[in-house]
Amino acid sequence: MKSQHFLNILLGIYIFIFLTYLFGPLLIMSVTAFNSAEFPSITPWECFSWRWFQEGKIAYDGQHLAGLSTDWRLHDGLIKSLIIGLGVVCLSVPIGMAASIVLTQVHSRLRTIFYSVSIMPVLFPGVIIGISTVVLWDRIATIGGEGFLSDIGRNGIFLTILGQTCFISTYCFLIFVARLQRFDQTQEEAALDLGASQTQVFFKILIPYLMPAIASAAVIAFLASFENYNTTVFSILSDQTLTTVIASKVRLGISPAISALALVIIALTLMAAIIYEILRRREDKKKKERQDQLIYEQTKDSRLKKEKTGSFKIPKFIFVIILLIIMGTFGFNQLIKNDLYGNKCVSAAESAKKSNFAEQLKLLQQNADTVDEKSLEGGNLGGNQDYGDIFGDENLFKDFGGFE
Amino acid sequence: MNSFFKKNGPLISTYFIIAIVFWLIFLIIIPQLYMLDLSFRPNLPPLLRGGPDDVHTLVHYKHFIFGSETSNDPYNYVDIGVFLNTIFTAIMVTIINLCFCYPIAFYMAKVAKPNSARLLIVALIIPFWINELLRSFALRILFAGEGVINNILLATGLIDTGINFIALDIALYTGLTYAYILLMIFPLYNAIESLDTNQLEAAKDLGSSTFRTHWRIVIPHAKAGIASGCTMVFMLTAGALATPVVLSSPNTYWFTQLIYQWFNMNDNWSRGSAYSILLLSVSVVFVLLMMRIFKVKIGEIVR
Repeated sequence: MKSQHFLNILLGIYIFIFLTYLFGPLLIMSVTAFNSAEFPSITPWECFSWRWFQEGKIAYDGQHLAGLSTDWRLHDGLIKSLIIGLGVVCLSVPIGMAASIVLTQVHSRLRTIFYSVSIMPVLFPGVIIGISTVVLWDRIATIGGEGFLSDIGRNGIFLTILGQTCFISTYCFLIFVARLQRFDQTQEEAALDLGASQTQVFFKILIPYLMPAIASAAVIAFLASFENYNTTVFSILSDQTLTTVIASKVRLGISPAISALALVIIALTLMAAIIYEILRRREDKKKKERQDQLIYEQTKDSRLKKEKTGSFKIPKFIFVIILLIIMGTFGFNQLIKNDLYGNKCVSAAESAKKSNFAEQLKLLQQNADTVDEKSLEGGNLGGNQDYGDIFGDENLFKDFGGFE
Repeated sequence: MNSFFKKNGPLISTYFIIAIVFWLIFLIIIPQLYMLDLSFRPNLPPLLRGGPDDVHTLVHYKHFIFGSETSNDPYNYVDIGVFLNTIFTAIMVTIINLCFCYPIAFYMAKVAKPNSARLLIVALIIPFWINELLRSFALRILFAGEGVINNILLATGLIDTGINFIALDIALYTGLTYAYILLMIFPLYNAIESLDTNQLEAAKDLGSSTFRTHWRIVIPHAKAGIASGCTMVFMLTAGALATPVVLSSPNTYWFTQLIYQWFNMNDNWSRGSAYSILLLSVSVVFVLLMMRIFKVKIGEIVR
């Protein structure tokens, strides 16, 4: 018995390590979104700031780092991702549903073949689905000559919808198959006996029964499409979706703006998960109440009857929220007290870095007189659209006067 | 066919047939077959396609094995090396994931109370709805030259100079292990959960050790889950592109990156297709191997 206890403790430690491994990196990434330094990090903590959610910054060496709200490429990609996600949902949910219903109607050998082909796309690497879609449609576009076929065959959004539908339909298919396994076919027969047409049976019985599956398939399809990269990067051609924009950003250099984006996505996911959990608990509670009610009605004997307590219980999670708010306010106050938040801190850090940079520059100039100061200054000479109208903001450039 | 129409009515039957033919034929089968065909054709400019030069050839597969004609090596060491390295790493990642996830899955299925198990499942799902790229990015922050891990190690005095995790590929391997771990946990969890707890107690009462109970009872019962998890993790790891893009060092290539290069940078679509076919055949071989080793049907692997 003692060894069992020891084993359980070991298991507990193991699970703790595992969860740290899963959540640690995400947590650290989220924290780096608030550091004003241009490299996403925690340890040389500069200032607490929202700049990566807003306009970003221009680094002391003239590098442009756009924030979330000013990055037009990100916004563009987001819109295209949403369009593609919508298209994929509209195609893959009906396809998955049709395939799963037909699966219940075919038998023996044909069923095995049909099932195997249907689940194949999940076993293909994503890049291959992307490539095969592109090469096929390029060929179709070439043969089709000028006109409609050539237009859609070289349209990145259209190809991405097709490529993603190929394997996301399988996800939907599997969801529908699981739901249909519990379907009572006598319902259909009863409806037919009572004089309903097949079409009516489909719309009045099958569809309502499948509604929960349709909803979850749609959600899964949208999310899978939204976060897909492997297929999209090939099939999108010259367009950009959110994921390909992120990929190109990450490849060029890592900026805290990506941490900020990740934090937004994490927050949305968390919210969805909490809502899902609350809904599920409520449903469980309802079910339990119904059962209790049933027992209550069936037993004349008072042994199982329970007095209903009408007292109001405070949900536990409210304490958690209050605790979080208190901790948040306290931490924030500490930040302000220690001058780690606000414009003053940012400008102090900036000028410290600038003088550091200027010193290095001087050193360089001492070593070699050939260094061209103008080229190092760079800064606002090579402005690009990434930055929008940030140059209108005087505060940002107030103390950016060169290195005299 | 007639009975099919009779059973579903004309309207619904038409919808079924259109949806299924569109999916199976136009989205799954024809693109793959066309890519297979393209991989046996020379890389021609669009105008010459369909002309007399457009014949079947093995030139791309030859290039994979023997390298370009101008090189002096007898074999294409670079590409073959990348290929073998990708497969080997993917297998290692699969094994590591299996060892990692088995205790967790067992805990969730048999030890934890139902409520806390469900909470754990929701908690595990959350990181996996976050984009793979962003998860890799999180690891990149940890492993970067001036990243968190290096700074901690330097501050505690464990090392004197920063370790370049990315050049050593530690970052890449960690990232790949991290990326698809959930796809190992859930099949395992489902399989172990269906095991009757009485069997475990019986084994214990009869004096079996913990290890022996797992080896003789839990693992044989969970073999479909193990096969399923291993297949999914291997497939996704071998075909991963996002994680290598973010985490691989400049001189390490993942096979998908090679494909990407032939396809997008060198504009050699047929060679890209040939390399894709190679990757695809590895995947197929792996699935067949798993089905053979664990004696499961393909339907049990994908759920």
